[in-house]
Amino acid sequence: MPKKKGSPHYQFLAEKWTNRHRNLQSEIFSKHKDAFQWLVDNSKQLTVGSLASIFLLVSPAAAKIPALSTTSAQISQTIDRKVFLVYDLRNVLPSDVRPLSSDEEKNVSEILARDFGIPVSAELDGKRLNATYGLIGQEQHLPLYPGDNIFNHFNNPAEADKYWSYGMTPGLGAWGYFTDSSSTLTQTDIDREKYYIAVQTFLSPGFDTNPKEYTDFFKYRKMLVVNPQNGKAIVADIADAGPSPWTEKQLGGSPEVMSYLERFDGSQRGPVLYFFIDDPNDTIPLGPVSY
Amino acid sequence: MKGKHFYSHLIEINEIYVSISEMDLPDKERNHLISLAEANIHATIINTILPELSEGDKKVFLKNLVVDNHDQTWSHLLSKIQDAEEKINRSLRELKKELLKDIEEAKKN
Repeated sequence: MPKKKGSPHYQFLAEKWTNRHRNLQSEIFSKHKDAFQWLVDNSKQLTVGSLASIFLLVSPAAAKIPALSTTSAQISQTIDRKVFLVYDLRNVLPSDVRPLSSDEEKNVSEILARDFGIPVSAELDGKRLNATYGLIGQEQHLPLYPGDNIFNHFNNPAEADKYWSYGMTPGLGAWGYFTDSSSTLTQTDIDREKYYIAVQTFLSPGFDTNPKEYTDFFKYRKMLVVNPQNGKAIVADIADAGPSPWTEKQLGGSPEVMSYLERFDGSQRGPVLYFFIDDPNDTIPLGPVSY
Repeated sequence: MKGKHFYSHLIEINEIYVSISEMDLPDKERNHLISLAEANIHATIINTILPELSEGDKKVFLKNLVVDNHDQTWSHLLSKIQDAEEKINRSLRELKKELLKDIEEAKKN
């Protein structure tokens, strides 16, 4: 059944005024890019809250405007694409943090795939997690091999200075050590620990029916994790199970993941989107994603 | 205007609201068009102001705007742009004329 488009008067004006508004936005951002970039760079100090609020500076009613025939990402490549991502996600995400409906997941995965050029989905090989949108908490470093500790864990002094204080878990990740010893340690192992997330594998639908199959599937499975409020995204891997449901958080991130996404624990905690990456040939590297 | 803005005291767009209402549209469509008209007004004003400011003053303006300080935004503009009120009004008059013309065109369709 064709989608109802509304009355002809409405259609004519909505299309004309939407295009006019988008052209104006485009002109404003491209002509004064430096000033907006300054605002983006200083958003934390100015307690702006999110890039969305910056985008709304030139579009107070944008959140109320439904999409017509084009998406904002098609307007101009010169505009900070993170801003568009925040804007587009804002239009499809619920105001509260809750599990997304199938339609919402589809909309989000289409936006993420389009903006990052990475095939993402809520479900892969018939398996899915209990959520794709949830609150992320702070995790500690995981030991890479027997004998790894917080004093020898880092590659360089700069990383040690930045991430030392988060400490190391007293136990192991869900799949034990990443390798047997420091002599067999590879860059893949280092990256898997550095960019790991913990998700509630044990709550995934169907987990109880075949725990081993599910556990094998989740092991080091790549996911695209996105902070919808600033547009920052990272390719992470599942290297631990958790957090417990009573924490009211749905996943956890390594110190490096949390730092990059600018997410914090405690009263400042916030949501992220996390979708499976379909990468059968292991060609997509772990770490921050650029546009 | 649905929300208060630093330029709210300059705007008289009842004519646009009335003209949209005359088209006998469902509430949802009418409200959407009003939102679009207001979004165009807002963007037009920003587009009028920013070219008049130095790089440093653009930052001050955007900062004031983002923290929603209407009085400070307006007094900053008055101190930095000669005839700020007239320049904004001129842009608004032109936009209003265009929006009303669009509405008339829509009614003929």
